[in-house]
Amino acid sequence: MSTHTTVTNTTPTWAGGRSPFNVSYGKLMMWIFLLSDAFTFSSLLVGYGAIRFSYSGHPVTPWPDPALVFNHFPGFHGVHLPLLFVSLMTLILIISSVTMVLAVEAGHRKDNKSVLKYMLITIIFGSMFLGCQAWEWSQFIGEGARLNENLFGFTTEAAAKAGNLKLFDHVHWDMAADRTPGPVPFASLFFIVTGFHGFHVFSGIVILVVVYINALFGTYERRGHYEMIEKVGLYWHFVDLVWVFVFTFYYLI
Amino acid sequence: MFEHTENINNEEYIPETYIPTAVSHGTKELWQVFWILLGITVVDFIIYFAMGASMTRNIIFILMGLVKAFFIVGTFMHLKFERQFMILMIVLPALAFIGMLVFGLLHEGNALSIDY
Repeated sequence: MSTHTTVTNTTPTWAGGRSPFNVSYGKLMMWIFLLSDAFTFSSLLVGYGAIRFSYSGHPVTPWPDPALVFNHFPGFHGVHLPLLFVSLMTLILIISSVTMVLAVEAGHRKDNKSVLKYMLITIIFGSMFLGCQAWEWSQFIGEGARLNENLFGFTTEAAAKAGNLKLFDHVHWDMAADRTPGPVPFASLFFIVTGFHGFHVFSGIVILVVVYINALFGTYERRGHYEMIEKVGLYWHFVDLVWVFVFTFYYLI
Repeated sequence: MFEHTENINNEEYIPETYIPTAVSHGTKELWQVFWILLGITVVDFIIYFAMGASMTRNIIFILMGLVKAFFIVGTFMHLKFERQFMILMIVLPALAFIGMLVFGLLHEGNALSIDY
């Protein structure tokens, strides 16, 4: 430890001349940005809840059951596997989150090599998540969902068929006989909310790559601190946090 | 809480460039939180197939989401190690505004129902 003597300073926290929150300017601003972003996402999710609720008990176009819509898994075409693929996406994002926080921790120890290693893993897993989302979008679009169109309404016979579906059952929907137009907001809200989240993941990856290149050239070693990793880390964990709620409201409920 | 116990000889305070000295808490807790998050997701997954769709199940899922959020924000985003003022500045507005939206949804959501 240092040889300085510890002096108790009795100046009040808010009298000026010190940082009341004991965080740097940049980190505080990142927190405030994330707070505003949290309001944006909560508005979107509450709006989703309100619109979904307004369709409950609708006789013509009831809200589609997510289990019947998001039931694909790569390599298992036509097999009824609800929730499996999104759970895999969640796992990927949790792993990327823990490697990000390990990079932050390595930055606290000023260990440039570990920072680089963990950031690279984070970038790879983040890209994997984006790839998964692209695959899911292409499935969804392939089955007739558009921003202003949704073919996930079921005819009476198709609904009866869907009611008996069990895990691993083979399912084939006849687009002409089984499908009718469903509630349009189902598709548009899916595209808007997961798209907005995916855009956050994408920009997170871009920022991660920029910071990775900086770290590669020793910028933070020269600067003497790894605050930038912490700021990117905050953003990345926020993206994970939003996914927790998107996962809950879109796929689980 | 209102007074500081720190070495005032350490450095001059310049707001724009002030960076608090970072301290590593080790990786043990981080991995712990990882396993907790993974565990909760697995439990979500089991409940999804074990229970039929119901309001109880929805409430369980939302509560589990909030628990996950607590661990992500607290440990991964390092918030629980920050000053108490800092924690309140982030958590209180979030609770107030998101709570207001959720209250509005629950209280006035019926008005959006389509009449048949």
